[in-house]
Amino acid sequence: MTDLEFNICVDDYSDGVYRFILKISKNKEDAKDIVQTAFEKLWVNREKVETLKAKSYLFTVAYHLMIDQLRKESKIIMTDSFDENANAISQGSSELKQLLLEAINNLNPTQKSLILLKDYEGYSYQEIGEIMQLSESQVKVYLHRARLILKNKLTHLEKMSA
Amino acid sequence: MINEKNYEIYFMSYIDNELNAAERAAVEAFVLTEPKYAEELAFFEKTKLHASSNEFIEMEDKIFLYRFPEMQASLDINFKKTLYRKEAPIRKIIFTPNLMRASFAIAALLILFIGLKLFKSEPNILESNIVESALKDKTALAINNNSSTNSKQTENTILPDNAPEASVNKINNTNNTIAKSATTNQAGFEDQAIANNNMNTNIINTTEGLSRTSRENDSQNILVAKFNEGKISAIAMETKATEEEKSIPSLPTNYKEIDTEEEDRTISIGMLEIDGAAFRGITRRVSALLKRNKIEKEK
Repeated sequence: MTDLEFNICVDDYSDGVYRFILKISKNKEDAKDIVQTAFEKLWVNREKVETLKAKSYLFTVAYHLMIDQLRKESKIIMTDSFDENANAISQGSSELKQLLLEAINNLNPTQKSLILLKDYEGYSYQEIGEIMQLSESQVKVYLHRARLILKNKLTHLEKMSA
Repeated sequence: MINEKNYEIYFMSYIDNELNAAERAAVEAFVLTEPKYAEELAFFEKTKLHASSNEFIEMEDKIFLYRFPEMQASLDINFKKTLYRKEAPIRKIIFTPNLMRASFAIAALLILFIGLKLFKSEPNILESNIVESALKDKTALAINNNSSTNSKQTENTILPDNAPEASVNKINNTNNTIAKSATTNQAGFEDQAIANNNMNTNIINTTEGLSRTSRENDSQNILVAKFNEGKISAIAMETKATEEEKSIPSLPTNYKEIDTEEEDRTISIGMLEIDGAAFRGITRRVSALLKRNKIEKEK
């Protein structure tokens, strides 16, 4: 990977990695630090990492850094909402989206990461498995479980509101 | 094949876009069979986040992530080595209050111990010195008695050589012989001393014709003679005293009882004389300090 290719990676993936981390960690500074570290690692290993796999590499590194960070801070149990980011996202969005985001907040970090990687980044089960170091079937099962939780939550909230 | 039991799995794979074209077609066909399946699929669709809601979040300070060729510049290793610094380890001795107290107590005990030891050993040293000096005197006297006659003979033979050093030796010898003779004849000490003086004057007369160095020796000779006179008189005094002691019958020794509580009493430690009251005060304070330390440690 050349300097130019690396800088293109920064342009293309830094925001995505940042969003992914921010939505789970809910801390801007932590998210920035993690992205910084992920790109630092990519720079150090630029001769080993292919340009096409740079995105996956960045998400993998960032995900594991985030998990380590969460373990350190004992923030495994997610509560409340997406905070300011959630509010920002909800601006101009429907009530359903707000409910969905609240429901996602109640998921555990693994389920949350699976949803974010699948829906926002569009990764396949296999790619998610590589990033999160899970098998493809594990990704499928965990993701389906997360979807069922969200669906039940949404059904329940819709019934309540109705 | 999709059915009532497994349709959820297919629906979720469908919204995750993980089905091939045939499977997708199968799901779409299954949904059309009953309206409730269409509702179910719609609910699963609602669980999906859309990328459009995520797009406007951008990372701040992204500029720091970029890399430029200038950023890869590095210093020469040899030059870097010149920048290294090694800090010498600093050993800190922390004097805590307890450590200070303990050190003071130890110092006080050491002083007391050394002082007591000196106090005990000093009389013995004095006694031994006296005994040693007495023995030396006695042996010296015995030797000189034997050599007194010989020295007198040699004096006459050596003097004509006009050798200053030799003459000094002779003079010294004669002086010694005077001392010896004086001690051997305890009764005639004074007479002997006078005789010695005469001898010395004679010697001075004989050495008058010598060189300047011999004159200096003469003066030394006079000094030695005077010293010997003093020595003789001192020895005479000692011998007299011993005779007197011998003549006095031995009386039983009386020991004076010392009042330890006496206010004005002084205590001697070695060569030091310490006020008794002050000393007691110090010892009490030290003992109180030690007790306090012990109580604190127990706590």
